[in-house]
Amino acid sequence: MITINVNDKMVQAKPGETILSALKRANINVPTLCHMSNLFPTGACRMCVVEVEGQRSLIPSCAYPVAEGMIIKTHSPRVVRARKTVVELLLSNHPDDCLYCVRNRNCGLQKLAEELGVRQRRYQGACNDYHVDSSSPSIIRDQAKCILCGRCVRVCEEVQGVAAIDFINRGSKTQVGTAFSQGLNVSSCVNCGQCVMVCPTGALREQSYIKEVVAALNDPQKVVVVQHAPAVSVTLAEEFGIKPGKDICGAMTGALRQLGFRYVFDTAFSADLTIMEEATELAGRIQNGGVLPMFTSCSPGWIKFVEEFYPDFIPNLSTCKSPQQMLGAVIKNYFAKREDIDPRNIFSVSIMPCTAKKFEAQRPEMLESGVPDIDAVLTTRELARLIRLRGLDLNNIAPEPADTPFGERSTAGKLFGATGGVMEAAVRTAHYLLTGTELKRLEVKAVRGLDAVKEARIHIEGLDIGVAVVSGLGNARKLLEEIKAGRNDLHFIEVMTCPGGCIAGGGQPFGTDTEAVAARMSALYKIDHGENLRVSHANKSVQRLYQEFLGKPNGPMSHKILHTKYHRRDVVI
Amino acid sequence: MNENAKTILIVDNDLDFLALERTHLEHAGYNVVSAENSTAAQEALAANKVDLVVLEVMLEHMDSGFALCYHIKKSFPNMPIIIVTAVAAKTGIEFDAATAEEKSWIKADVLLAKPARFEELKREIERLLAAAAASA
Repeated sequence: MITINVNDKMVQAKPGETILSALKRANINVPTLCHMSNLFPTGACRMCVVEVEGQRSLIPSCAYPVAEGMIIKTHSPRVVRARKTVVELLLSNHPDDCLYCVRNRNCGLQKLAEELGVRQRRYQGACNDYHVDSSSPSIIRDQAKCILCGRCVRVCEEVQGVAAIDFINRGSKTQVGTAFSQGLNVSSCVNCGQCVMVCPTGALREQSYIKEVVAALNDPQKVVVVQHAPAVSVTLAEEFGIKPGKDICGAMTGALRQLGFRYVFDTAFSADLTIMEEATELAGRIQNGGVLPMFTSCSPGWIKFVEEFYPDFIPNLSTCKSPQQMLGAVIKNYFAKREDIDPRNIFSVSIMPCTAKKFEAQRPEMLESGVPDIDAVLTTRELARLIRLRGLDLNNIAPEPADTPFGERSTAGKLFGATGGVMEAAVRTAHYLLTGTELKRLEVKAVRGLDAVKEARIHIEGLDIGVAVVSGLGNARKLLEEIKAGRNDLHFIEVMTCPGGCIAGGGQPFGTDTEAVAARMSALYKIDHGENLRVSHANKSVQRLYQEFLGKPNGPMSHKILHTKYHRRDVVI
Repeated sequence: MNENAKTILIVDNDLDFLALERTHLEHAGYNVVSAENSTAAQEALAANKVDLVVLEVMLEHMDSGFALCYHIKKSFPNMPIIIVTAVAAKTGIEFDAATAEEKSWIKADVLLAKPARFEELKREIERLLAAAAASA
């Protein structure tokens, strides 16, 4: 350890670490804009500058290593003035429409302007004439609000390995753009929304479908049905100021009813259904020499990634639709018939932690004879907006159970919300399907936690199954390259587009950091630990659905409505 | 021209767009009629039995497409109309056809922003034609 002097106090630092990281550990707060933990620093924004004795100019603390005996001032007049000027310059060509901005009161730039006491416009910069790109069904890009911090570019390339956007042009004409400045819609963007999560301003936001949903809720002809994903109930509370890790499934169900949704269903139900289909498909592939390893197909960003970058692996993808689409299909086909409602009069909404689900819902494959499985997808953030719009107070809403028949779920289905959850649920059910007995210990420790890649060997009835769990497309790319190079010890691989799984999805509350994701994850594990129905195959409602409608897993009816096909996808670059 | 296939009129002053969409739509089994401006579009509607119209807002003028929508809906109240437009990207003014109210003044059933993927356009065409067939 080395010792540095910060604001006349001694602070311990590790050799080789940056000044910023030492300051963070000592709870000394230095503002940042472009900084991203776990990624190599760029030092682009200059917000984190500090004064180091003996150095002529101010030093970006995010990119400068500590040295023994360093004397640092983090809030000297010179430093504060520099930071304030940086913000004033960023504001000089920023649109003054905070009141109309989706990030109002939740904006990195606004927060810094407030903290540094910017009260007047000292610089008037020429504004570039940029227009909004609203072509994508998932993400809207508003260049006028971009401050060129580069976080979206880095998360897209370095974390997700997609590189759909990058800096183009030079100097004052620099902007973040797609290849040939084509719309995001025809780029290689996989719609994961991680760029939205890291954007400090309103330059990136989700394509909102609140208007469509409200119109449907107000239409007396429509029966509006809603489903909510496993990862939503453990994050929604954060939008209302409650600290991460609280499950408010019951209150959320009550709120959804008060918003006017006629039926509230749980996507974790169809996660159980997915497990029945997917575990059967896997067992079939292993027994009949099908294409292996089999990849999960729940995460729509991952599906588009394979279609674009690794089309050779399309046969490896499970043909199962995602839980969202499965429930959508079951609602429009089975539920509509049972309740004697014309499927065209059902407006099916899903609340998802995800922006890519918006893209998935409008894939042409998800359109059975002109009736879409899902009519509109809202993110967790949009649901919070809708709740605020209606003036509901989540603290004063009595918990309510979901509706039958798609409200019952196992905790295995709920685990889908975190990386490793699909695998854990699948292992529990595969064990039962192959041996007729339950796993003695249901927790599959090897696939839990926030590690980027988790591998295990599962032994069931003499079968030795190699499994891997990957989250973050950059990590998935590495594994795909290994398999391409000849690795063949794996049978089943779960891939989640976002690092950490759906609990860290692109539709989740802003301000998501590693601690928040860990807290959300333990909330899911707590639910799994505390309930009795913990395996998908024991879900009575799923069993009944098979008896009354589907027949058997991977049967003809299942194949008609619960499975799909993927296609090689050509995009601009 | 296939007698049994549905006929789609595309209106756009971008000739590349017309050629591209014609190729896509014919490949998907539709008859295609195209027009480069509002007048030609109205003539094409009079001369052909058209089942659905795809049009751009910005034709002779920035807003010609809106007037065209109005004329089409006046003569053919049940004609499904899809607007595929770059108006937001070109002018910064955003339009939407999400609610019944918006549809009532915009006189179109669906509004897609350019660049739209062909699969999106095809999906909307199929959906509107299926709805038209069901209500007929």
